[in-house]
Amino acid sequence: MWNTVKSVLAAFFGVQRESRRRQDFTSGKPISFILVGILMGILFVVVLIFIAMQAAK
Amino acid sequence: MRKWHVWMTAGTLLLSGELSLNGKLQAAGWNMPVGVTDISREVHSLHMTIFWICVVIGVVVFGAMFYSLFRYRRSKGAQAAKFHEHTTVEVIWTAIPLLILIGMAVPATATLKKMYDASEADLDVMITGQQWRWQYSYLGEDVNFISSLATPREQISGDQERGENYLLEVDQPLVLPVGKKVRLLMTSDDVIHSWWVPELAVKQDAIPGFVNENWVRINEPGIYRGQCAELCGKDHGFMPVVVQAMEEEEFDAWLAERKSAASEEAAGADREWKLDELMERGEQVYGSICAACHQPNGAGLPPTFPALAGNQALLDDREHHLDTVLNGVAGTPMPGFRTTLSPVELAAVITYERNAWGNDTGDVVQPSEIAEQLAE
Repeated sequence: MWNTVKSVLAAFFGVQRESRRRQDFTSGKPISFILVGILMGILFVVVLIFIAMQAAK
Repeated sequence: MRKWHVWMTAGTLLLSGELSLNGKLQAAGWNMPVGVTDISREVHSLHMTIFWICVVIGVVVFGAMFYSLFRYRRSKGAQAAKFHEHTTVEVIWTAIPLLILIGMAVPATATLKKMYDASEADLDVMITGQQWRWQYSYLGEDVNFISSLATPREQISGDQERGENYLLEVDQPLVLPVGKKVRLLMTSDDVIHSWWVPELAVKQDAIPGFVNENWVRINEPGIYRGQCAELCGKDHGFMPVVVQAMEEEEFDAWLAERKSAASEEAAGADREWKLDELMERGEQVYGSICAACHQPNGAGLPPTFPALAGNQALLDDREHHLDTVLNGVAGTPMPGFRTTLSPVELAAVITYERNAWGNDTGDVVQPSEIAEQLAE
């Protein structure tokens, strides 16, 4: 699970280590990456909204 | 040590170069103006900051590229490095642009916040775009007028030498006081227009059915010119914006004069007008409002803009003519002018249309008759 999160974060940033990529493509299941990706996408948007609301105060 | 010295000198030269270069570019009309409001100054300095950031990035990136091409060329026996992925380098070249973008976004957002804060204005002006002119209403002041292109047709057709402010001059400019916060409310009667004055750093869309907000506080008296910045049809290039900024006392005097002129105009609706008077006034109104579509000779531009000269449907049916001018024609570009023109102007322009260009009906439409119809 933690590894999936780290891989999704690396994907957000746009840079991933080759060894890690290989590992993801051999051991991980696609559905877990998709779900974690969607959840973290939502989390990212919520964080942005929170920052914007704080800044607007 | 010596290298540092070279860099410092280069930096100083670049900076002083920026100042003189900026002046030169502006004089040549190549750069955006510094403008005459605090916001426009901020916008200009943002623009220059980001421009120089881009210049530095360009020099560094292309410098590194050309240096590598030259230094490691094959004739000198350079061998290509063969490796795949380098996480550190990738992280660096992702992080640096990210930081640069955030660095640009912070001051830009600060300025944007100021631009959007139209609260606590001293004066509200409603700006309405129409094909193809601007209407200005000073809210709560009962002052309302249309600002149309003033460049003579002979200059446009090329029969006359072009004037200094060719296509950037109007019959009645928007007059604003200096040093006061003026809220600009923008909308449109027909299609999307955009009210743009570079010196004020205002470029705001005027959209039918919406009211957009913007504001200005002008620091220096003067005349500032702009244009419609959203393609809006045939005469898009012929609806300039002119703002005249004057000192507060001068502005108050102007406003008082406009108000008394408006009440005089209203009083004029009660008396009986002669045909000659109406024709004279009607010709003015026709020239500034109607001629863009129906042409100065009344021939129109069929089929979109019908001819008025010899138009039997109008000439035989006076009521139909009044209804057309007052209420417009749904589904065509013809707007209704019941709210934009005064009873005197409406009566004059209808009388003019019924008697000019050989129409010769001899009809006189009295302002009082129009006033009655408007009251219904």
